[in-house]
Amino acid sequence: MKTNDLILQTATKIVLFIIVLFSIYIFFAGHYTPGGGFVGGLLTAGAIILLLLAFDMKTVAKILPINYMTMTAVGLLFAIGTAAGALLFNVPFLTHAFGDVHLPILGEMALHTATIFDLGVFLVVVGVTMTIIQTIGGDE
Amino acid sequence: MAFQILLNMFLGFTWMFLTASYEPIAFLKGYFFGLLIIFAFRRFFPSRFYLLRVFAIISLILLFLKELVLSNVAVVKSVLKPKLDMKPGIFALPTVLERDWEITTLANLITLTPGTLVIDVSDDKKILYVHAMDIEDANEAIDSIKNTFEKAILEVSK
Repeated sequence: MKTNDLILQTATKIVLFIIVLFSIYIFFAGHYTPGGGFVGGLLTAGAIILLLLAFDMKTVAKILPINYMTMTAVGLLFAIGTAAGALLFNVPFLTHAFGDVHLPILGEMALHTATIFDLGVFLVVVGVTMTIIQTIGGDE
Repeated sequence: MAFQILLNMFLGFTWMFLTASYEPIAFLKGYFFGLLIIFAFRRFFPSRFYLLRVFAIISLILLFLKELVLSNVAVVKSVLKPKLDMKPGIFALPTVLERDWEITTLANLITLTPGTLVIDVSDDKKILYVHAMDIEDANEAIDSIKNTFEKAILEVSK
């Protein structure tokens, strides 16, 4: 029997965005408080899975036309790029740089290259999780 | 469009509560991240990404200001001309705009740029009757209005 998923779909339309925003918060919180690229990535993947549960795979593929394997590759590239970037400045592999920058609107910001490494982790986690789920869930 | 803006505001406030900092800057950060999320999920909404429409409105305002300056110069020229050789006339302007606010905006834009003035709108809202202070060719005037104002309004309401 095909049931009407109206309530689930309508709730998803709002909840999805709160989950993704929370995952971004968790991602940036990683430096001083619990969080980071791994949980952030899992939360984003969870939001997309909620979308998959509420709609079908075709709709989700239309909403987010992303090749998750490419996403994983890009994430790995980010990680290795920040690690190898240290070699350019004559310091050992994976040495990170950081500094406090004063930006016009945002004010005092602490920037750290570990965030770019974390972004790589984030992309890999989202990519791998979504590849696993879609491979298991796919019909063909 | 209204739903997307509302959702974006809501996400901005959610960010303030998440980070427990209640300064305008926290709202701005949340609004920015919300904008990114809404952009990523833009195909999820029945209407298009709302920032495009905001840009269309801004470009309509800029177009209006440009036309205002240009046609004011044209009117000053014909006022200061010693010979009174201008050709006033009324022409019918067929429009593809359908909704009331679109037609009102078009009529106001035509009226506010000097040299042309909307006199009447036909009963079926398909034709605007425009009085022009100095026209050589009615078709040329129709084309220029269609290409500038009507196109810009269509871009906003698309």
